[in-house]
Amino acid sequence: MENKEYIISVFSENQTGVLNRITAVFLRRKINIESLKVSETSIKGISMFTIVASTTEETVGHVVRHIEKIVDVIRAEYQTADEMITQEIALYKIDSSILKNGKLDLVTRKYNARIVEANREYTVVEMTGYRKETEAFRDELEELGLLMQYTRSGTVALHRDSMEETLNGLRSSAGE
Amino acid sequence: MSQLKNITGVEALIDSLLEEHIDTIFGYPGGQVLPIYDGLYKVSDRLTHVLARHEQGAVHAAQGYARATGKVGVCIATSGPGATNLITGITDAMIDSTPLVCITGQVPAGLLGSDAFQEADIISMTMPVTKWNFQVTSAAEIPTAIAKAFYIAKSGRPGPVLIDITKNAQVETTDFEYVPCTGIRSYIVKPPLNTDLTGLAVDMINRAERPLIVFGQGVKLSGAESLLIDFAEKGNIPMASTLMGLSCVPSDHPLYMGMLGMHGNVAPNVLTQEADVLIAIGMRFSDRVTGDLKTYAKQAKVIHIDIDPSEINKNVRVQVGIHADVSDALNEMIPGLVRAGREEWFAKFRQKFEEEYGSVIERDVEPTGEALTMGEVVRNIARRVDGRAVVVTDVGQQQMIAARYSYFRSTRSFITSGGLGTMGYGLPAAVGAKVGVPDRQVVLYTGDGGFQMTLQEMGTMMQYGIGVKIVVLNNEFLGMVRQWQQLFFGRRYSHTEMKNPDFVGIARAYGIPGRRVQTREELEAAIGEMFADDGAYLLEVAVEKEGNVFPMVPAGASISDLLFNE
Repeated sequence: MENKEYIISVFSENQTGVLNRITAVFLRRKINIESLKVSETSIKGISMFTIVASTTEETVGHVVRHIEKIVDVIRAEYQTADEMITQEIALYKIDSSILKNGKLDLVTRKYNARIVEANREYTVVEMTGYRKETEAFRDELEELGLLMQYTRSGTVALHRDSMEETLNGLRSSAGE
Repeated sequence: MSQLKNITGVEALIDSLLEEHIDTIFGYPGGQVLPIYDGLYKVSDRLTHVLARHEQGAVHAAQGYARATGKVGVCIATSGPGATNLITGITDAMIDSTPLVCITGQVPAGLLGSDAFQEADIISMTMPVTKWNFQVTSAAEIPTAIAKAFYIAKSGRPGPVLIDITKNAQVETTDFEYVPCTGIRSYIVKPPLNTDLTGLAVDMINRAERPLIVFGQGVKLSGAESLLIDFAEKGNIPMASTLMGLSCVPSDHPLYMGMLGMHGNVAPNVLTQEADVLIAIGMRFSDRVTGDLKTYAKQAKVIHIDIDPSEINKNVRVQVGIHADVSDALNEMIPGLVRAGREEWFAKFRQKFEEEYGSVIERDVEPTGEALTMGEVVRNIARRVDGRAVVVTDVGQQQMIAARYSYFRSTRSFITSGGLGTMGYGLPAAVGAKVGVPDRQVVLYTGDGGFQMTLQEMGTMMQYGIGVKIVVLNNEFLGMVRQWQQLFFGRRYSHTEMKNPDFVGIARAYGIPGRRVQTREELEAAIGEMFADDGAYLLEVAVEKEGNVFPMVPAGASISDLLFNE
């Protein structure tokens, strides 16, 4: 079976140590985590993990079932990237010469990025999009020799369907 | 539910244990559990503490206690090295689904992360080998943590839980109210039964010509022993046990066809490859049971009942996966089963048994050579105790021979380290078992290798008068490793031969009577002497040096590809 990129979503109680238990399931099978994001859901006390990793479909199935065994985990599932609505945010520290050399269009029009801060030395811009978009912008800036620093978030993902029921179930058990 | 004002964390801990009806714990004191031990001193009339000789002994004893009684085993160790010494036992309990609550002391919360004396990050270290673990840093958290610990350890698929209690939490005061844990929203204990799937399974079984039940420890853990027998009898279906399932079904039950796996019986292993429907009940298709997965039961439709959904389709692809408590599933399925004759199918089992008897069993249990065999010792003792003893084993050749040639009449009569294969498990597990079921005979089979890993626990036996019958099957080798070296590494016996001490002399030093036996003539008398009273005894038998366990499915071979001799 071939390796493919999967997005693993995990809903858990917000408890110390859950993150370690989840990552240990990957470590045990020597699967490298490409990105990982943790945040609170719309329900207080419930966290959502979004983990991106490449492996086979069979393995990701085992991984998800093992994550679901963790006492504090409410639900875990996997999807391929196209089955989810995903976005990433990226920040770019760019040489401020871009403001004068006629390449500013690249930022504002081509990539629709937003200037966060600017001074004589550098300009910081922010862009939200699919990873291939944020990376394309990075590559172009790099080619122009303007990129000073670059960072991006992990994948932020929402399900196209099915999660509302789970979340509503949790909301009622949380007494909200 | 009891309520108390202004008590210490230790008092809260002990009251919590008493609320959980715990009367026996195994442990070893140290700096960061001194307040707990002070608390234990005051309740020694209600809570028996068994002092082991090593924390590993304490945790294995708690495991043996849990396996013999079906209750949660409890052990206590201090921080740092005390806690790390528990890890082997915790890992063993995790893979063998043994309910344990391990309590460790920890440095005061204010010193966490400072590399204080005897500080170890036991929460991180035990994370992958516990079902759940939790660090308590204030007294107020203790009752909830303990309630949750017991609930998680014993419910669902049981397993070990560790609670790490910082010293400040032990000594500070809190108001106490004990509310037993009855549920955790993120943790499903009893899955609802899918009756469509059980219906499908029943139809499949009723249409089967050559069905075979393969069962494991899940039957014991679910308390489904008699349901399993009803199920097999109703459908007239042969059944075979994994190593961990042994003693669920009496050995002489007419539908019981023996043990599966690497050193299991020929009939169930070979006929797994001829069954048309394989009904797996509370077992996990370990590689020791399946051999090469690519050739395992390919012709069979597989039905798998397990309470742990991650086990279904993990190793073997199944047609019907029933995520359920074994009792619930069997209860639902039994009424629908239709009896079938299956004469030819049963005849095959008989024929394979005859083959095994002629090629292996006879020479094991009634040898004609001069040297004593492990098989004849086990068979001799099995006859003497009439299948009524709790048999505990260490790991290796004696374990497999004890599994093959012991008889069982009742459940929870075979205690062994199945998944982890922990040498040194035997003696402390036998100590724990005997503490748990003092009215039953407890016989330990161990080897000269494994016995020396934890033989200090004879000190525990001496101190508390624990009457375990220790049988050391001494071949002056790490026998199972030597067997593999003989078969697969050109007889190069690399570091497996052992020069051993006088085991009977060591036992005597611990006040345990014993005898070393070298001939068949002495054996009978020595066994008689061992069972003459209720006390502890050590029987050392000098067995054939290069005896091997057969039949054997070599690692990675198909389950029907058995070796019968060298």
